[in-house]
Order: sequence, then structure tokens, then C-alpha cells
Amino acid sequence: IFADVLESARYSPPGKPKLTGCRSPEKETFTCWWEPGSNGGLPTNYSLFYRKENSDTVYECPDYHTAGKNSCFFNKNDTSIWVNYNITVVATNALGSNISDPVDVDVVYIVQPHTPENVTVVVHTVDNDDPFLLVRWEPPRKADTRSGWITLVYELRVKLEKEDKWEEHFAGQQKQFNIFSPHSGEVYMVQVRCKPDHGFWSEWSSTAYVKVPDYIQKERSMWIL
Amino acid sequence: CTHGHAGCQLLSLADLFDRVIQHSARMHGLSNDLHSEFEQYFLPSKNQIGRINRKCHTSNILTPNGKENAQRLAREELTEVILKLLLAWRDPLSQFHQSIAHHEDFNSFSSNKALEMSDMVHELKNGVEKVAEKMQLLGMISNSLGGLSSAEALLAGTSSGESHAMSDYELLHCFRRDSNKVQNYLKILKCRIVPEHGC
Repeated sequence: IFADVLESARYSPPGKPKLTGCRSPEKETFTCWWEPGSNGGLPTNYSLFYRKENSDTVYECPDYHTAGKNSCFFNKNDTSIWVNYNITVVATNALGSNISDPVDVDVVYIVQPHTPENVTVVVHTVDNDDPFLLVRWEPPRKADTRSGWITLVYELRVKLEKEDKWEEHFAGQQKQFNIFSPHSGEVYMVQVRCKPDHGFWSEWSSTAYVKVPDYIQKERSMWIL
Repeated sequence: CTHGHAGCQLLSLADLFDRVIQHSARMHGLSNDLHSEFEQYFLPSKNQIGRINRKCHTSNILTPNGKENAQRLAREELTEVILKLLLAWRDPLSQFHQSIAHHEDFNSFSSNKALEMSDMVHELKNGVEKVAEKMQLLGMISNSLGGLSSAEALLAGTSSGESHAMSDYELLHCFRRDSNKVQNYLKILKCRIVPEHGC
């Protein structure tokens, strides 16, 4: 009897899993993630089920592997836009099961693109004018901006390498941006991120560096003379 | 602005597209705002939202629900889908504005947005018709924008009856979705017709 009590205290049905969110990088596929609850001390299996708006058919997750642990990946064929997906996760072990709160998603509103690519910054000088920084980038490869399926707006941030504070600039749909009057002789760091019209900002891109040549000193000294 | 009039510049097709796309973005933005105002103030329990599973009155209009499907449609068909959606919302939106204007829980701010939305769907339809005319004139789409007038008659019959039964919230949910479709289809159409302009 004593052993039985111990057993029942040690093992229990699984805790409630929690759907933590769904994201689509390009409005053509998407992934949902969940956090498992307690496993009740037993091997526990997790299944994701979904039902599409105006249909009673319940489907199980088509792909538990592609997006890693505790996730479900929906490929192009499994992804529709402008249709709500009602999603739940069920945890099951030998003593029972537990179901997450459902989450409703329309893929249009969960788009978070990958970061912009090939970010470059060069010092540009036209004739005898002061140099300026010319920043260029490309949209993330996966986002099909050329067909008009997805439209991205960009933001860049710039800082002097020796300082802590970034300065942000909104670039709209442009894929380049000029920064005028850079400090002479300093190193600048630039990063870019992007966002679809109704969605989330990407992470910041990797950093592009540029060293501004000494240019003010010469002119200033002329003036002083 | 009439042809040959001083100071009257003819807009290029790309410019026309940009105008209607901007217009559709603004319209969708308004529907988004109103939709979240509804969620905040009128639906205390978010759980109810998932339960809404009624069909939108425009569900009889077949619309592509993915990139490949949208790209497979001929230019004429895509144009037609856009016009059908806009037409189908004209009456329901004007009824929606009236219902909101008499609703004491709504502030005049929301009411103004509803009015603006209702006006915009009308203007946008006219704008897209202009774009379609221009595309026809330039030989970019065929002249057979098939049976819009018959579609008009068909929709006039179904939409008004069904929209009465739709709650304001359901209506907003449907319009938010349809206005997003319109915006997206316009962008795809633009990138197929004038790909060199910002695509």
C-alpha cells in the first residue's frame, strides 16, 4: 500500500501545454511553437491539431520535425491565407491527457520576415562635397517582394563604434539610404531590419562597418588660416 | 481634369496603381482600427472571437487564398475579383455606418471612421475601374471584363439580405479580411502589369 501511495504521488497526468505563438517568414508557410507543461513523471507525447474556419475536419500537424523541438511546420500546401486556423496541442501520457487553450491565427497577421541581406555601407563623395554614407541592402531571399505578394518597409540604425547609442531612421520601401555629415575619421556601424505592412519587425541584420576618412580637418584648417 | 486642359497631366498607369494601392491600404487600416476597437470595448471575453464561424456575405466570390493561386489567375480575372469584392461591400458598409452612428456606445471618432470607410470603398471601386479602363486602352488586358453588370445584379440580391443578419463585429471581421485581399491583389496586379515600378 505504501508503495502505491508513493507511486500515485510521483506520477500524474501531464500538465497543460501552452501554445506560445505562430509566425510566418514570407506569408507562404508558417510554424507554431508550444511549451510543454509538466510531464507527470512519465513519457509524454505531444500532438498538435488544427481545424480551418468553416470546416469541421480536424487535422494533425503535418510536420513536427522541420522547425525543431515542440513545433509544427506548415508547408506551402498546408498554408492558406485569409482563413482562420484554430489550433490546439494535446499532451498525453499513460495516466491521461491535457489540452492547451486554443489559438486562432490568420497567417496574414503573423508575418515576421527574415532579416534583410547583403547590407553594405560605403563612403560616397561627389566632387568636392562632404562625403556621406550610402547604405544599401536587399530584401530577405525568402520574401517574394517582386511579385507583390509581400511588401516590406525598412528601418536602419546607425551608431559610432565607440558610442552606445543607436540612431534609427525609417527608410520606407526604399532599399538604400543616405546618411549625411558623418563624423570625420570615425568608424560607423549600420544594421537594417524589415517589416511587412501588417506584421512584425524582423531581427536586426548583421552589422556593416565603414571608416570615414579624415575630411573636415583640411577644410577647417583652411578657414582658420 | 479634361484632356488638353492646361495644367492637366495624364497619370501613368504606375501612378494610378500606386494611388489605388495607397487608398486600399488606408481603407484596410481603418477596418483594422475599428476591428481592434470592437475587440477592446465590446467583447470582454476574447474566447468568443474564435467561435465566430459564420460565413462572410462575400464568401460566394471565389478568391485565391495563396500566392500561386493568385498568380495563376489571368489579369482580367484578378481585376474582376477586386471589383466584385469592392462592389459587394458598398451597401453593407453604408448600413454599418448608420448602425454605428445610432449606437450610443460608440464615440463620434469610430463613427467617422465607419463613414470614411464607407466612402472609401466607393471611391476605390471607381479608382480601380479607371485603372481597368487604362489597362484596356493600353491593350494590357482584354476588353472582356466579363459580366460585371450581371455580377452586380447577383450580389445586390444576396448581399443586402445576408448582411442584415451579420453582427457589426462579424461584418468588421469580414471587411478587414476582404480589404486586405483587395490590397494584396492590387499589388500583385501592379507587379504583373508594371513590374519595373517598385516591385
